[in-house]
Amino acid sequence: MPLYFSEKEIVLPGQLLSDNGRRSGEGTYVLDGKVYAAVIGLATIKNEKVCVIPLKGVYNPQVGDKVIGIIAEVKPNGYEVSLGKHLFATVKIPDKREVQAMNFKIGDVIYGVVKESGLRGVFLETGDKLKKITSGLLIMIHPSKIPRLIGRRGSMINMLKKETGCELIIGKNGYIVIRGDNPLGEFAALSAIKLIEREAHSQGLTERVGKLIKKIMQGAVS
Amino acid sequence: MSTAIQPKKNITARIVQDKIYSLLQQSKRLDGRGLYDMRSITITTNLIEKADGSALVTLGGTKILAGIKTEIGAPYLDRPDEGSFTINAELLPLASISFEPGPPDERGVELARVVDRSIRESKVLDLKKLCLIEGEKAYILFIDIYVLDYDGNYYDPSLIAALAAIATARIPEYKVVDGKIQKTGAYFTPKLQSLPFTVTFGLIKDKLIVDPHLEEESVLDVSIIIGVDEKDNIVSIQKNSPGLIPEHLLTKMIEIAIEKAREIRKIFCEKLNISLD
Amino acid sequence: MKSNEVKLIREDGRRLDGRAFDELRPLKIEVGVLEKCDGSAYVELGKTKVYAAVFGPREVHPKHLALADRAILNCRYHMASFSVDERKPLGMTRREIELSKVIREALESVVFLEEFPRTCIDVYIEVIQADGGTRTAGITAGSLALAEAGIPMIDLVAGVAVGKINGHLVLDISDIEDKYGEADMPVAMAPRLNSIVLLQLNGRLTGEEFKNALELAKKGIMEIYQQQREALRRKYSGISAEEV
Repeated sequence: MPLYFSEKEIVLPGQLLSDNGRRSGEGTYVLDGKVYAAVIGLATIKNEKVCVIPLKGVYNPQVGDKVIGIIAEVKPNGYEVSLGKHLFATVKIPDKREVQAMNFKIGDVIYGVVKESGLRGVFLETGDKLKKITSGLLIMIHPSKIPRLIGRRGSMINMLKKETGCELIIGKNGYIVIRGDNPLGEFAALSAIKLIEREAHSQGLTERVGKLIKKIMQGAVS
Repeated sequence: MSTAIQPKKNITARIVQDKIYSLLQQSKRLDGRGLYDMRSITITTNLIEKADGSALVTLGGTKILAGIKTEIGAPYLDRPDEGSFTINAELLPLASISFEPGPPDERGVELARVVDRSIRESKVLDLKKLCLIEGEKAYILFIDIYVLDYDGNYYDPSLIAALAAIATARIPEYKVVDGKIQKTGAYFTPKLQSLPFTVTFGLIKDKLIVDPHLEEESVLDVSIIIGVDEKDNIVSIQKNSPGLIPEHLLTKMIEIAIEKAREIRKIFCEKLNISLD
Repeated sequence: MKSNEVKLIREDGRRLDGRAFDELRPLKIEVGVLEKCDGSAYVELGKTKVYAAVFGPREVHPKHLALADRAILNCRYHMASFSVDERKPLGMTRREIELSKVIREALESVVFLEEFPRTCIDVYIEVIQADGGTRTAGITAGSLALAEAGIPMIDLVAGVAVGKINGHLVLDISDIEDKYGEADMPVAMAPRLNSIVLLQLNGRLTGEEFKNALELAKKGIMEIYQQQREALRRKYSGISAEEV
């Protein structure tokens, strides 16, 4: 069964990937029994399927995803939460008194878990799984770059935390909260995250990120 | 074109303002600048061959394109011996999710008028030199400004772009022969008589900043634009948002505006290789 | 309106700007040129200079305009006032409204809109200098901006205008060739599908000429398509499989 790409090769929309239409996976489509790429990304095989991992794309919420959102609307039976870009999630709380007790206001930042995602919309878990984030530097990066920010088994994110001394809260939807005691550390974390976003898939990134953080922490860069 | 489809207003997270403010208290900003630092400026001129003058200016992530088209028309009745200029500005929907397609809204009109005032009041152009036949024929300059990418503060770079387009313009020259005008085939560049620059200020609680970028702009309590010419005269002011400006801050703002306008003027003259004299 | 009186071909058999009949103007393509949108591109074909930016998919407002089964694609083609010889008045002209529609339909032909029900995708095309072939350059740029935004699509689309000047079919007509030539035919294609996504004709061609003109357009489109792909690859060069 011939494949027309090498593993993790960059492919473009319309590029032929395979002659076997039954192997069409995420980020691909079938035309005349053949598999083509639908988005720009890295071609790979996942569970026997030909897939394209998008380099950029919209965030598609999955059940269990941890997300960061901003309260956009307060309703008698819950909240509407902006997850960035076009995406909104609903927090449904049947008990009015509970809504009053939570007392979230428009503009508050919350950390939540996706409970349901489908045609009816996106819903977040309630109770202990919904927390307010009260301080920190909120930034948004492209959601597709989040896995790279975390790195293999958390290698990148752990390095960031260790070197900058900051706490980092990551939402799968692309929002990140940086919280540290010293502004220099926060700048270092912010600059490092921006570098990772910009050069997510380039070689030697971990090393460059490490260097950048050291440079900033030593005050070489303002 | 379905102009009815409009994006929801961006919701600003409360913690962002707290964070920006707490950094300002330590004299720091999100992008590493000092409180009164402008972002870096680039100027590219004459990139539109079909325009009589053009400039692409970036101020950090904000990108502005200005172009000039000249027409010959009748002078205004109350100024029969002068040519004229008109400034328009459009906030293109390419530039930001908050800009909508359609005719210039109040923000675009305000931008155009602030740039217009700065150029008009400091007499950048000698309008008398733009008259060909008194009461009949004069040059009319249409200076159009487009915001291409919006990362906060489109005022200061728009004025820089308009001035750069004028300073490097090549306008088809006319002469008067037997009471009629005809093209000479040559081009002229209007001489700049003055070089005003605006400086945009933002206030977050008690902290004053210069050239706010988009994230800062979203949490400003109030903002104001001050234009200063090369003789340190104040040539335009626009308070462009609701909010309170403590009176005692104005003197300080004007001092900073004078200093910052000088910095921009230096960069402008160096990049365009021109001098005022 | 079209006249044969103006000489558009020189003594040496070349066009006024020195090109051969089947030659494109110098082409420059860049992807990711604007920061605040989700995808963007810049295309320069001779003196024709065009930006495109894409926003979305995002929520539709007001909500009742949203479609339950797919995304709405909006497109605005707009020219800067100083982009043309005679200053263009501000606001949208009838021409710009028509071109916005045909460009939108060209792009709609290749985008998987059904992947994003109840959302809209906006494509903004800004012509900063017009010297012929602006709508096709707009499509070329628009499809790259969509691709950069990560919108799934069947194929990139590329376009070019062909025309007839002084009795000869020529590729990539400039403004002056459009003005004084006998015919102007903008064509855009999805090369992978070997299908037309935009086709207009302004002028007169015989059936035989039409066939040849289409062939000529296809040749130009394939060249542009190659450069589109190179521009995208350039944008993502240096990307490797490291830790993805």
